[in-house]
Amino acid sequence: MQDPFDLTAGWLQEHLLIPLLYETGLMNWEDVSYGWALFAVYGAVQVAVTFAVCLPLEHWRPVERWPDSKAVWVDALYTVLSRVGILPFVTYVVFYRAQVWANGILADHGWVPPTLERLFPFLMGQQVLTFVVYAIILDFAEYWRHRLSHQFRWWWALHSLHHAQRQMTFWSDDRNHLLDDVIAFVWFGVIALLIGVPPLQFPLLVLVLRFLESLSHANVRLSFGWLGDRLLISPRFHRAHHGVRAAGQRSCNYGAVFPWWDMMFGTADFGRDYVQTGDPSGEEALATGTYVQQQWAGFRRFLRSFRRRPATRTGRVARGV
Amino acid sequence: MRRLISLFLLLILLGAAPRVAQAGGGIAFVINSAGASVSVVDMATKQEVRRIPVLREPHHLMLSPDGKSLLVGDTVGNEMLFLDPATGALQKRMPCADPYQLGFSPDGKFLVVNGLARNQVDVYDAATMTLVKRFPVAKTPSHLDFSPDSKRVFVSLQDTDRLIAFDLTNMTVLWDKPVGKTPAGVLWHDGMILVADMGTDHLAKVDPKDGRVVAEIKTGRGAHNLFVSPDRKIIWVNNRAGGTTVSLDAKTLQPIRTYKIPGGPDDIAFAPDGKLWITRRWAEKVAILDPATGEYDTVNVGRSPHGIFLNPNAPSPTPLASR
Repeated sequence: MQDPFDLTAGWLQEHLLIPLLYETGLMNWEDVSYGWALFAVYGAVQVAVTFAVCLPLEHWRPVERWPDSKAVWVDALYTVLSRVGILPFVTYVVFYRAQVWANGILADHGWVPPTLERLFPFLMGQQVLTFVVYAIILDFAEYWRHRLSHQFRWWWALHSLHHAQRQMTFWSDDRNHLLDDVIAFVWFGVIALLIGVPPLQFPLLVLVLRFLESLSHANVRLSFGWLGDRLLISPRFHRAHHGVRAAGQRSCNYGAVFPWWDMMFGTADFGRDYVQTGDPSGEEALATGTYVQQQWAGFRRFLRSFRRRPATRTGRVARGV
Repeated sequence: MRRLISLFLLLILLGAAPRVAQAGGGIAFVINSAGASVSVVDMATKQEVRRIPVLREPHHLMLSPDGKSLLVGDTVGNEMLFLDPATGALQKRMPCADPYQLGFSPDGKFLVVNGLARNQVDVYDAATMTLVKRFPVAKTPSHLDFSPDSKRVFVSLQDTDRLIAFDLTNMTVLWDKPVGKTPAGVLWHDGMILVADMGTDHLAKVDPKDGRVVAEIKTGRGAHNLFVSPDRKIIWVNNRAGGTTVSLDAKTLQPIRTYKIPGGPDDIAFAPDGKLWITRRWAEKVAILDPATGEYDTVNVGRSPHGIFLNPNAPSPTPLASR
């Protein structure tokens, strides 16, 4: 059966991108543009599905109601840029090519870079099973990236933009500082080199994972029950991570899709109920500024983080960098 | 007794006859670049029978000089797969850096592999598959073709608008010259080299002695790839931006006919019945074009079909998975 997403990407490529590239003398980008089109179509579907599911949920049982939701719209912009624009472009143009280049060096030495399918040949052709294994490994790596982003002062300065939102909704998943995104890409790139992540092989399943990550940020009173919350991260579980008291270095519930790593490494907190979100230590622009103001405020905070840190009376590191 | 034996043999032959006819259905191998697989298509029924999974992102394929192996370059997977061209069964895998476009020299001595992402052209000893020489190049070596005497290979450097020539006897660079915007397909023809300039609407006719462009042949927007027919009378050109396939008279290089093939026409393979099997990169399809009528059938394959190889003498493929 023909894949409707692929055909949509093909249509975009043929009727929009190729004519544009041809007229602008950029036909050497024609392969890249198709990769971008594929990512962008899947990204657009991700956004549409997330919107269609999460919006009714947020209206049905909201944790909070706000008189003015202006701050939420900036998060929507982050989502569109990330899933339809920047993310697909960076993934395909930078990450993918770098992976080919680096793996080629290894191949020169007679060594095919490791992939899960090579290590476990029974996975070859088993799309769903392979994806599940990849998803678990990547989620594990993501847990540690996220946890470390709360530990280092300079990294938290960047990541605090994600936590500054007091009106957290399903749009907030992609609200990140660009430098934080770059670090995430490099992190992901290293993992990809180690296990050979194939970005285009499992687009539908990636869509499901990204949906779960968006849902976990939703402004909805939703738990998956005692057992469910221990299998998949629910909005209730992840909201605790975004709580005012959890901002910074003493946070909990760092997981993205599976809560297992938090349970394994002692950072899970299933006890907190639907808490208020935000980061009181950050300046207001991080919470309610425009996209550019947020990025700039995050960058300033990042630079300030390298200054000598003031010691508090309790000896704890001050978070308000 | 002799009659009985004759009758017995006749019965065997009669019984075998339909099987022989069925066995000669033929296989088309189609590489799904963005689908990490090779489609195995029954040429008789024009149906995809199964897919051979590969690691990451294959692009091109080439029959070995002895006809015993079909080499598939998994570019992103950094390995070369050797398939049985009669069945699609995997014979072996070999580590290989960034194998994009590949080709055997006409004398079968060398295998040349373009590393598009790693900006290198590798020359392998075809008999031992050991690397003889690596030529670092400016950027994005894309397509290639050889001189008939196997002494030279010509490679388009897509992002630099240049064509580079290598001497395979001394393993040196002969020349490196501009040939037009975004050169892709390369074809030795009648003592000259034809290069499809994808950023333009024409082929560049290049003198192999010095790389000088001596003429331009208009074909259509985004001239991407070109192939000579088995009888060497027609040159077929796929135009990427125009979505057309154009036939040129091989002697005069004048256009004969333009066929509308939407969906990014790319590689072509020629069937014994005179039809052209054309991969359509963005349509998940192969077009089987009848040049006489201009009509085409379609075969559904995987995502981003690219390289294609026909083995009309192979038995009809079986639906068993090939690993």
